[in-house]
Amino acid sequence: MQQNEFFTSRWGLILSTLGIAVGTGNIWRFSRVVAQNGGGSFLIPWVIFLLIWSVPLIIAEFALGKSTRLSPIGAIGKTAGKNFAWMGAFITFVSTAIMFYYSVVAGWCIRYFVSAFSGDLFNTANHLSYWQQFSESGMPVFFHLVAMVIGGFVIYKGVVKGIEKANRFLVSSLLIILIILLIRAVTLPNAIEGIKYLFTPKLEFILDYKVWLNALTQNAWDTGAGWGLIMTYAIYMKKKEDIALNAALIGFGNNSVSLIAGITIFSTVFALSSTDAMMQISQSGPANTGLTFIYLPLLFSKMSDSIIVNTIFASLFFMALSFAALTSLFSMIELATKTTMDFGLSRKKSILIVASAGFILGIPSALNMKFFINQDWVWGVGLILSGAFISFALIKYGVDKFRTNIINGFGSDIKIGKWYNIIITYLVPIEVTVLLFWWLISSTTWDPEWWNPFHAENLGTCLAQWFIVLSLFIMLNKTFVKNVLKNEN
Amino acid sequence: METIITAVLVIGTVWGGVIIFIRKAIQFEKSKKEIPE
Repeated sequence: MQQNEFFTSRWGLILSTLGIAVGTGNIWRFSRVVAQNGGGSFLIPWVIFLLIWSVPLIIAEFALGKSTRLSPIGAIGKTAGKNFAWMGAFITFVSTAIMFYYSVVAGWCIRYFVSAFSGDLFNTANHLSYWQQFSESGMPVFFHLVAMVIGGFVIYKGVVKGIEKANRFLVSSLLIILIILLIRAVTLPNAIEGIKYLFTPKLEFILDYKVWLNALTQNAWDTGAGWGLIMTYAIYMKKKEDIALNAALIGFGNNSVSLIAGITIFSTVFALSSTDAMMQISQSGPANTGLTFIYLPLLFSKMSDSIIVNTIFASLFFMALSFAALTSLFSMIELATKTTMDFGLSRKKSILIVASAGFILGIPSALNMKFFINQDWVWGVGLILSGAFISFALIKYGVDKFRTNIINGFGSDIKIGKWYNIIITYLVPIEVTVLLFWWLISSTTWDPEWWNPFHAENLGTCLAQWFIVLSLFIMLNKTFVKNVLKNEN
Repeated sequence: METIITAVLVIGTVWGGVIIFIRKAIQFEKSKKEIPE
């Protein structure tokens, strides 16, 4: 397929792709998981899995998008063989299903930014009840609509005027805001205690396999590797553009943002918390919201005696969170839009369908937290399967051939060695298998009726929903091939 | 002591990696300017 629109420069591509990787998970999930897994003890495996999960899969995604110029259905079908186009459809579906509820999350962040900026957030002393009143009202639907309209508009404007322009502004602003917040946080009295906790390793945690699995999970969910999103943006990279160096920059850049956010949150909580700081950071709350929407607003209100200063810092924090959420949301909308375009529709028609469906199918998550948790669980774990399908496509094609001809092909700045073959052929499949079994088997222990597909978070619901989607896509494989790969030999 | 070693190791690898890769990217960008689109 002839590709006409490209990112204008390497930096436009990098900032846009960093926008995919940097999301709310860097800010709220990372700090909580670090706190629950022994601080510094977690960071060591977290860096190791950056190297043996995230970066190799980001390289694979860049190479698949650049070489095929097709969305995941076509990219996987063309690389692994036409019988496997359904795997690309599954990758697309998982990220699209996440888009439905992620737009709700982006809406929450926008609402809290508005609330902090207007001063309304500090008119209450009970932030739990403030959150409950908001989340149990119809307001999340309105803010979900706002997020979807912003996202839809950016994608409608196209790659250069929409995705690149928006990400250049939002990602740059996000990085500046995070650095301002970091400087403020580390200069608070007692902030050093938080930093000490963050970087102190404890032997009993390093030897605990669960810490390692959580570190792998954080990399799988947080870097955007294996989601099909980077693959979609890579469609718009110029032929002379490099793959490996850009991929490394995205992986390391994403984890750098997590570290900045982690240092900021640990410093703030340890400096301002009057109760047990660790307990506060570790608290998950509904859908991981406890720390961000309930506890941090309380801490911001205590930051100084000046309400103006507190308002500024709370507004900056929620603005950063909104920017992080929106830039990731753009890529999910673009993935679904590009897939629809690959079926022959125009960008205008595709975005209309995707944004409307995204809004309607996100409403249940906006109104019902149990539904939200269910979708987050089923498709969050589904991402591990997506990573496996990408790795399978490379193995089927021939990892060495893929590395030599595509990754190290025209435009490559740095050459990737044979270590890449070992990671994709052996390590990624092992990581996928261990991670899948661990999550699915763990889920049988927290629900006595683990087989019940109508429960929010258990094995039954996961397997049932995957089975429905996978069976449907396997049956539709010929249709995918006929429509998406019609011009390919 | 182990706190400082971990901090240097983690921050050095992650942030150090970003700095090295950005410098490399700038170098390659200069040499690629001559290649047609």
